[in-house]
Order: sequence, then structure tokens, then C-alpha cells
Amino acid sequence: MIHIITAANAHQYSDTMEQVWRLRHDVFVVEKGWTDLARADFREIDQFDTQHAIHFLAMEGDRVVGYSRLLPTTRPHLLSDVMPQLCEGDLPRGPDTWEWTRQAVARSHRARGKAVNPVSIALLTGIVEWGLASGVRRLVLQMPTLYLLHVVQLHFRAQPLGLPQPISGEDILAATAEFDGRTLARLRGVRGDTASVLAPSTVRYLAA
Amino acid sequence: MTRKSLDQTLGFLRSLDRTASSGDVASLLMAELADLGVSHVMAGTVPVPGTPVRHHRNHVLINTFPMEWGKRYLSRGYAFHDPTVQRLGTGSSPFSWLDLKEGPLTTTSRRIMDEAADFRLSDGLTIPLQTLDGEIAGFSVSGDRLGIDPLDRGMLQLVATYAFGHLILLAGQGVAAPVRLAPREREALQWAAEGKTDWEIGEVMGISTHGVDFHLRSARAKLGTTNRTQAVAMALRRGLII
Repeated sequence: MIHIITAANAHQYSDTMEQVWRLRHDVFVVEKGWTDLARADFREIDQFDTQHAIHFLAMEGDRVVGYSRLLPTTRPHLLSDVMPQLCEGDLPRGPDTWEWTRQAVARSHRARGKAVNPVSIALLTGIVEWGLASGVRRLVLQMPTLYLLHVVQLHFRAQPLGLPQPISGEDILAATAEFDGRTLARLRGVRGDTASVLAPSTVRYLAA
Repeated sequence: MTRKSLDQTLGFLRSLDRTASSGDVASLLMAELADLGVSHVMAGTVPVPGTPVRHHRNHVLINTFPMEWGKRYLSRGYAFHDPTVQRLGTGSSPFSWLDLKEGPLTTTSRRIMDEAADFRLSDGLTIPLQTLDGEIAGFSVSGDRLGIDPLDRGMLQLVATYAFGHLILLAGQGVAAPVRLAPREREALQWAAEGKTDWEIGEVMGISTHGVDFHLRSARAKLGTTNRTQAVAMALRRGLII
């Protein structure tokens, strides 16, 4: 199930968020070698983890097995403040546009053979479900160029914001990815499950 | 320089949306890439080892290479020995065929590259891709006088990726049963394409707004689309309305 955590319900998830900071440290610092993010307490938290960030957690029981973060583009975010060179024209900004960052899946939950593992698909399904319910219609992505085909195959309408640039040994592309009901149908088709991925407690919170 | 490349890429994406067959995509690619000296494109997924040679053609999404070469390539199962194919799984950066020839090659691999040269396919660039299902794939361009600047490679990567994604989509539609719209569904959709509201369509067709909604809903379902705009676009693409 996917749990959505914002400033409004974070107090109910404080132990769980500790798992998130550690998963992020494991994946981004230890595994990917983004040493700028290294922290002595092994909790990877950056300047964008404010009350405005929305955290998407893939959970199995009490365990966090996957994670994604959305940042509002109306405030400072990675494309605006850290990697502006990836965007050649105007920054895509607005209340309907959120930046998707820090996609991480626990090593134990990475399936072999498939390019995109089920936990990532579930997280993305949760993001699209949340977006469709919240008036959000596009994501800003920074990703290795190889992943662009997956975004297109998942029926997002992706537009490059610039040409791929080498960043720490990988060709990285910034793009916007618009989504609609068709995207959700496609994600559910790939999952083989038409039910919502959002945890009931999350849905109650969103409805409130 | 890069701004021009990005604009060119975005222009290509808009044109790609209007293509309805792999032949259309091929023509568009040739027009788009002519100034880089590209005269042939080929793209497809790599058959997993053990795939019978007779099935190899099912892995080809687009191929404008000389027909004789294509036949020879498929009938002899060259996909398993072609060094450009072997290189695909090992990295994500585009690579040049001339660079590949500089490196160590098996006798068979070298012979394939030499035979390709007989068909004036000596120089080329291959862009590695990977599908959602984890299949290794590639998109190659070739030409007698290929002039691809390193700065063009990013643009080519994007063009190749989008063309490939679109070709997968078209291939999927190809195997789907052809859509047959009832006369009233077709007529309602035609008026929707003209920008008319449900009420206006009802007036011209002499039926209630409710009836219009019924026909459009049914057309949407047949086309596998979720809204009016998408249904109109799909029907236009398939030539069901004009």
C-alpha cells in the first residue's frame, strides 16, 4: 500500500519517517555514491524536506520498501535551485506541476528481469491517483535518458526541457510528464490490478 | 546550438503524433535526419538467446535498410553476432560503428560489418534502449556520408526514444481488432471534431443531448479512449472521421 505523508499527518508517521531517511541514505549515498548528501547519522535529509514536501511511501506492514518525494514547483526545488542547466527555456511552474524526486526502492524489493519493478510502478500509480484527485496534471522529472522510454510507454505525455547532460557519469534529462485517466489505466494494466494503491487511512486523510 | 536542437526535437515530437503507421514514422525520420547524412534507420528489440531465427523479424519495429541486406540479416540470424547488437546491453550511451570496428571483434562479427559495408552501410550510430518489460532494444541510423556531431547525439537520443515509443504503440494497435463505429457514433464524433457541444450535436442530429452522450460514450469505449479529445484524435488517426 502507498501512504501519503504531508505536514498535516506527519506526527502519525514519525517512526516510519526515520525508516525513510535511512532508506534514502542507503540508496542515494551508499549505493549511488551521491556523497554530497552523506550524513553522520545516516539520515538523508536535504533543504527541500520542508512542510511543503509530500512523501509517498510504499509499505509492507510496518516496513518502508519504497519511496518517492514530490515538491511543489511554486517553491524552490531541484530543477530551479540545483540543476537549472537541464532546463533550456522557462521553468515549468504552477500549482498543477510537481517535481518527482528521490525515487528509491529497498534492495530486497528490486525484481530481476523487469526494467521497472512493481514497487516503483505502485509508487507512480499512487502519485497519479493523488494527482488526479488534487488537480495536479504534470510532473517534472530529472532522470537518466534511458528511462524516458518507460515514461512514454506508461502513457505519460513527456516533453523534454533540454538535451541530456552528463551528470556524475550518467546522461540526465529533465522533462515534464503530463498524465490523465489514460495514464492511470495504463499503470493499473501494468500492475494487473485495477484497485487503488492508496492506503485507506491515506484516502480518509485526503478526503478530509 | 542546443536551443536549436531542442526546438527541432520538440517539432519532431509534434509531427510524430500525426503519424499512423511505421511507414509514416520512417518518412518523418528520414526527413528529420537527412541533414545529418542519415539514409537508413532500423530499430527493434533484441531476441533473447535461443529465439528461433524465423521469429527474429517480429523483433523489428522499423527497417529502411536495403531489402537484400535485411533478408540476409534475418535469414542468417545475424542479430546474434552483430557487434552493434552485442554492444547494446552493456551501456546506455550512443556508439558509432566506426569506433566499434576499431575494437576487438570476433571473425563472424567482423565479417558482418564488412558485408554491411558492401551495402554502403559502413558507418552508423546506434542508440541503446530498454523497454518497460526489460527487453534490450536499439535504434540505428546509417548513411554513406554520416555527419553526426557529438553535440547532435543528445537530440538523436531523444528522437530515437520517442520514435521507438510511438512505434511500440502503433504495433500494439496493429494487432488490436479494427474498430467499427456505428453511423450515429461516427456522425456524433465527426461533429465533436468540429468543436460542437453535446447540445449543438443533438440539434444537428435531431436527437437529445442524452442521446449524443450515449453515442459518444460508446465511441469512446470502442476506441479505448477516456475522453472526447482523445477519442477525436484516435478516430482521426485511424481515418474513421475526417
